[in-house]
Amino acid sequence: MTFFDPRRAAAVARKEVMHILRDPFTLVLVLGLPVVLVVFFGFAIDFDVKNLRLGVYDRDNTRHSRQVASVFESSGYFLPEGASSPADAARGLDSGRYSAALLIEPGFGRDLGRGAPARVQFIVDGTDNSKAQAVLGYLPGITSAALRKTGAPAAADPVPLATRYMYNPELNSRWFVIPGLAVIIIGLLSILMTALTVAREWENGSMELLLSTPLRPAEIIAGKIAPYVLLVLGGVFFVNLVARLGFGVPFRGSHPLFLSGTLLFALACLSQGIVISVITRQQQLAMQLSMISGLLPSLLLSGFIFPVESMPPFFRYFTMILSPRWFMEAARGITIRGAGAADLALPLLALCGLCALLLAAAFRKFKTDLEP
Amino acid sequence: MKRTLLAFIRKEFAQVLRDPRMKMMLFVMPMIQMTVFGLALSSEIKNIRLAAVHAPDDAAARRLAERFTSSGWFLPVAAEGRDPAGLVVSGAADAVLVFPAEGFARAAARGRGAVQLLVDGTSVTRARSVEAYARAVFSARAAAAAGLAPAPPPLSFDARVLYNPEMESPVFMVPGVMGMIVCLVTIILTSMSLTREREMGTFETIVSAPLENREILLGKTVPYVVLGLVNAALVIAAGFLIFGVPVRGALWQLAAAALGFVVTTVSIGTLISTISRNQQQAMMGGFIFLFPAVLMSGIMYPVENMPALLKPAVYLDPLYYFTALLRNILLKGGDPAVFARDMAALAVMAAATGTLAYKRFRQTLN
Repeated sequence: MTFFDPRRAAAVARKEVMHILRDPFTLVLVLGLPVVLVVFFGFAIDFDVKNLRLGVYDRDNTRHSRQVASVFESSGYFLPEGASSPADAARGLDSGRYSAALLIEPGFGRDLGRGAPARVQFIVDGTDNSKAQAVLGYLPGITSAALRKTGAPAAADPVPLATRYMYNPELNSRWFVIPGLAVIIIGLLSILMTALTVAREWENGSMELLLSTPLRPAEIIAGKIAPYVLLVLGGVFFVNLVARLGFGVPFRGSHPLFLSGTLLFALACLSQGIVISVITRQQQLAMQLSMISGLLPSLLLSGFIFPVESMPPFFRYFTMILSPRWFMEAARGITIRGAGAADLALPLLALCGLCALLLAAAFRKFKTDLEP
Repeated sequence: MKRTLLAFIRKEFAQVLRDPRMKMMLFVMPMIQMTVFGLALSSEIKNIRLAAVHAPDDAAARRLAERFTSSGWFLPVAAEGRDPAGLVVSGAADAVLVFPAEGFARAAARGRGAVQLLVDGTSVTRARSVEAYARAVFSARAAAAAGLAPAPPPLSFDARVLYNPEMESPVFMVPGVMGMIVCLVTIILTSMSLTREREMGTFETIVSAPLENREILLGKTVPYVVLGLVNAALVIAAGFLIFGVPVRGALWQLAAAALGFVVTTVSIGTLISTISRNQQQAMMGGFIFLFPAVLMSGIMYPVENMPALLKPAVYLDPLYYFTALLRNILLKGGDPAVFARDMAALAVMAAATGTLAYKRFRQTLN
């Protein structure tokens, strides 16, 4: 008996295609859902923190102090509102009415006018770290704007620091979010699809039937995965179409490189689904395991929003077992930076390794079952 | 309560907890996830790889570059003889400081020229923090490094961060991750439960039992509400014990918030399972709910800035309210007005989804 007969694998694949076509729900979902989610969140996700309500308690009430408060307003990030006392400002922070508070003590205008160090209290709501960090990040810009406005002698830097953002000069959130979102959605759907279809076959006994035929495990796995690879590629195609035509996300790299990266990633995720289904053999458990191993880790640990570089060393290594983490790096590199194969050697090789590992695991699990 | 109903609930519990693997996933996995996400995630940007390009004999520039490294945010990257932009393109550096060719000290003394900062803009959030940190170090240190007398700043802000003064990541991440985990567990348990019984044919047995529709629904949901609450308690206890997340509000507030949230998610899960024809559809239904719910919970990005047209979607997300409630109760001490507002929203959602689930459920039975 041969170890792998392409004709037999093709027969399994044909059967799987029939399954998919009989339930158009899956088809519509895989091709349509990523596009819908990318469009929705492409519009929804914006990292700019704007329209922050700022409680202002100005006891100094001089020209200079009013100018400082007005600089916050003209920055476009803050919506200042008068607070009647420091306690009122604190209550406003407690109740979430204010995101930050500005307290100006008497003597501020006098100090600033004669060039003495003038200080202002600025209090930030720290329940949301990322928001608090963004707010604190606005302060240097506001300080220099306030100095210009009040005409105080500015302690200017000896030479200016001129920043240039490469690849995304306007720091458009969409260029960052959309390629990442596509990676996550495609990856999750791939895991879920194979995890459930194969678990279903175990549950209703048709897998026993398949195993009793001359089919070898490798043929079953190949036949099960192949139709879904095509389906996933279709989904990726539509998502990229929307990203480029609808959102103007640039594509600066090579298409063949992107295609091979996508293939590797799809294979890795589909095999992960097979491994899950072989371990659980029950649909509910399979869903549980795919969601647990797929949803939160890929959203939180892949570098989609929280950078991998900022994690403690142990977790930086831990993320290496997640395929979305590698494809995230590759996909963003290829589309936004135009990186070539040499620049992305590490993520692409890691994807290859994960793919091989997961396929081998799926194969072994099948095999032990066949030959007890 | 009738004895049959109690027996039915007991049967449902036994069914869920029979499988040791399910028990693992219900009670151990949430703990592991909490620990991993609580420790790993941080919104602070660290380990920024910075290269400094300057003339080999430019001591002032080297001094300033060392200041960047010693600030703790930046890691030095060797830049000898390489093209500044090339360092970013190849991914060797996140940012490059390019000093004036004539020498930093001389440029500073003449007050001409500029130091250029090239930042990799691929990651928008990271790029912004890199620039903010670089500017802070530059403003504080540039004059001294160039050998000029540093002038005291004429205007400065004393910034203070309330509720989490050290800006510790776990204190911020843990309440958010708690909500996500409880949401995930309850939806996965319930969205497949009915579909599964129908597919396996055991549903017929339940229908033929001497129970009213209402009781069948109760029997099918109460165990999951209980499991969800147990999970919430475990996760909150872990946050408190492992990460030292403060519990500043009242425990009854926490219990009320968890109950409202769990009833809502169990109802949504039941709704999904009555609509779906097979388990595959149920799972996809679960995904379609979970994915947006997690993204719009307020953890991943600031939802307050969403376009007005899409904003209503946030107000339909129970996880958004639960996260807000957890942060309010745990970190702020549970301001009563805010608690009442978010709790009311959750209660309305629980009532609405519960009624809807009951209606659909009755249809399925008949």
